[in-house]
Formats: sequence, C-alpha cells, structure tokens
Amino acid sequence: MLLAVVQTWPEGDQPTDASLMERILQRDSTALETLYDRYARPVYSLVLRISQQPASAEEIVQDVFLQLWRNAKRYQAARGPLEPWLFTVARNRALDFLRLKREKQRRREDSADFDLPPSAVVRPDPEGAIDQSRRAERVRALMGSLPEAQRRAIELAFFDGMSHSEISAAIGEPLGTVKSWIRGGLLRLRESLEEARS
Amino acid sequence: MDCAQLAPLYEEYALGVLEGEERAEIEAHLARACPHCTPGIEKARWVVAQLAQVAPEAQPPESLRRKVVDSVRKSAAVVEIARPVESRAMFPAWAWVAAAALALVTGYSIRQMGNQNAQLAELRKEMKLATMQNQALQDQLEQGRMIASVMMSPDSMPLKLMPKDKNMPMVHAYLHPHMGVAVTADQMPAMPAARTLQLWFVPKKGQPMSIAIFRPNSEGQIAIVAPVNMPMNEIAALAVTEEPAGGSPQPTTNPAWIAKVN
Repeated sequence: MLLAVVQTWPEGDQPTDASLMERILQRDSTALETLYDRYARPVYSLVLRISQQPASAEEIVQDVFLQLWRNAKRYQAARGPLEPWLFTVARNRALDFLRLKREKQRRREDSADFDLPPSAVVRPDPEGAIDQSRRAERVRALMGSLPEAQRRAIELAFFDGMSHSEISAAIGEPLGTVKSWIRGGLLRLRESLEEARS
Repeated sequence: MDCAQLAPLYEEYALGVLEGEERAEIEAHLARACPHCTPGIEKARWVVAQLAQVAPEAQPPESLRRKVVDSVRKSAAVVEIARPVESRAMFPAWAWVAAAALALVTGYSIRQMGNQNAQLAELRKEMKLATMQNQALQDQLEQGRMIASVMMSPDSMPLKLMPKDKNMPMVHAYLHPHMGVAVTADQMPAMPAARTLQLWFVPKKGQPMSIAIFRPNSEGQIAIVAPVNMPMNEIAALAVTEEPAGGSPQPTTNPAWIAKVN
C-alpha cells in the first residue's frame, strides 16, 4: 500500500505530524506553529496559484490553519498523512473562492482587478523537507514531460476546478480526448509516485 | 459498475473532473463504505494532492505567520479559561451514576429521619433534571461532532451565503454528498419569537425544498446540520428565508441569505 509506506516526516529529530497533532489536541499552540512552518509555504503556493490574489491567498491559508487548530479532533491519522490532507482542504477552499469570484464577475459586481502574484521567492528547505522536495521534483518532472496540451488539461482541472466538459470547451478539444489525456496523465503520476516509494 | 471497473477512475474522481454516471457509481460505492473503493480513493487523493507541487513556489509573508500564531495563542488562552466549564459539559456517564448513587444514599438517610417521601421525590426530580441536562449536553456534543465532521471533510463543498442586508453577518454552509449540510454563523441578531429562519435547497427545476428550521441561540450563533435529501448536482442554490414560527411549506419571503451551488 502506498499510504503505508508514505512517511510524512522521516527525520528522527523532527516531531512527526502525528505527534504534533496529538499536541494540538492538548491545545499546545507551539505544535501548530511547527506545522505552520512546515507546510505554510507549499500550501500558500498552491492557494496563490489558484486564487491569483495574494490578499485572498493569505486569508485562505490563515483559515486552513485555524481550522486545523480548531478541529484537530476531526483529523483522522488513519486516513493518511497530513500534507495531502492540507493540500486538499486548501485547494477546496481556494477553488470555492475562485468560483465565487467568477460568479461575481458574471454579475458585474466585482470590479476588483486581479493582483499579479509576487515573484516567486524560494526559501531554502529545512533539512526535514528533503523528502517533500524530492517528491515535488518528481511531480514537476513528470508534468514537464507531458505534451503541453495534456499538461494544460490537468492543470485546468487541478488549479481551476474545471470538469471534463468544461476543459473540453476551454481548450477546444473533443471530450474523449480530454478524458484520455487526464486519465493517462494521472495514471503516470500514480506510477511515478509509487515507483519513488518502492 | 464493479470495483475493478471503477479503479482506473479513482484519480479522476479525486481530481473532481468526473461527471455523470461514473461519478455517481463511485459515490454509491463510497456511501456503502466499499472496502476496495474507499482506500482506493484515499490513495488517489494523496496522488492528486501531489499536483500542488507544480504550483510556482511562493513565500507567505511573515505577517501571515504572526496572524495565525496570534489567533491560535488567543484561542488557546480562551480554552484554558473556559476549561472548567468544558469539563462540566463533558461530565462522564460514570460520574452521573456516582452522583445518582450518592443521592440515593442521602435519600435513604433522610428517610431514616422521617420525611422520606417528600425528600425522595425531590431527589428524584433533581436526578431526572440532571439526566435530562446530561442528555441535552450529549446531544449538543454529538451535533458538534457531526458539524465538525462535515466542515472538515475534503469532500464537503464550502459555501458562503451572502446576506441581502449588508449589515447582517455572512452564513457559512458546508455541503457534503452523504453526511449532510452544516450551517454556521456568528453575531446574528436576536429574532422575534413569532419568526424563524428556514433553510432551503433551490433545485435547478421545481420548487424550493425545506431543509431545516432554526433560530440563532442566545449568543447569536447558528450551528446546525441537516441531511442532504437531493443529489448535489441538482441543487442550484442554498437559501435562508425568514418565516413565521414553525416554518412554511414554501418560502413566503425573499432570501435573506443565498449561495449559488451549481
């Protein structure tokens, strides 16, 4: 099982995500600070990519971590590691923001301009994030190896929350082709990540 | 479709692109906690979440860390102050049994003293009241658990119900295909006794469907959870109207809060 071999924080001196969540249950705020330092950058990067607005991205990221603090009891370690769970929650929130913004634009009530995201500033990874960094490289390499249209289809689904038919309309390709691209790309991603862990 | 046919679709489901029959099939398997599809989807969520790594790396501002840390520390301090109240609310069942036993012993002594009937009746009344209070607390706790469960599920669709009156607070809803819809709000104004709030699913076709009737509590908070009795893809909007006490079969006022769903 892939989940069984995924280690969220393999370094011995670093507290695991699970132990930090236990401390959060005891209302130890320093544990949440540690998790924030560990995951704020990738979560913020994801939310900023989706929302395209730094101010909104900050609000969403703050909300995600406060929800983690307030509802730590609901986090089930058995369901898998914390990192993808945080990504999923953050993506859902950011896509919700995006849908709301699109709706406002449709109603011509939103005159706010899109903020350009700030130029990417990459802070050196802490030692404990090496595993995460390698995984990120693998995912980027795989996506980079896909034909541009296939990559674009997957990114529209992930970062813009579009369905098969919406992507088909957006890029002007047949629905069957879009489905085939996305399915093929995701299967390759799965195989690549499993291979990295075997 | 059987599990083997659904397995190649897990990642697409986790990505959120799957539509129609294929999506419905997977959700049906998840709804019955299918031993193959449930872990398969969990693994697919992990795989799909890794696409976040493709986002250009950006550094969150230091001010964001301060905001999060300040909020958490304040929250921790409030919990610390509130803990005696919380511990009373979490009074365990064995403690109630112990309290009941103590009350019985006390009652026996009183009976020995001669006015047993009146005293025992009073104790029974108190025990009944305590039992009812305990049950009410348990119900509140269970409802809180259900609300948190819906709110925290990655499968829930978070919605902001915008108020028609800009002076009113926003109402938040979390729509889950199986667990129901959770609705929360703070700083709601008090309502006249003759009026209530009513939550509606507005379908793409047909009449609005009543989902729940509720009122803010004495602190102006709303925290309810109600079942979703309509396929999510058929829900066009969630709306809250103000209605006469007891609710209405169909809305009698324009929505005071509304959020588009599909």
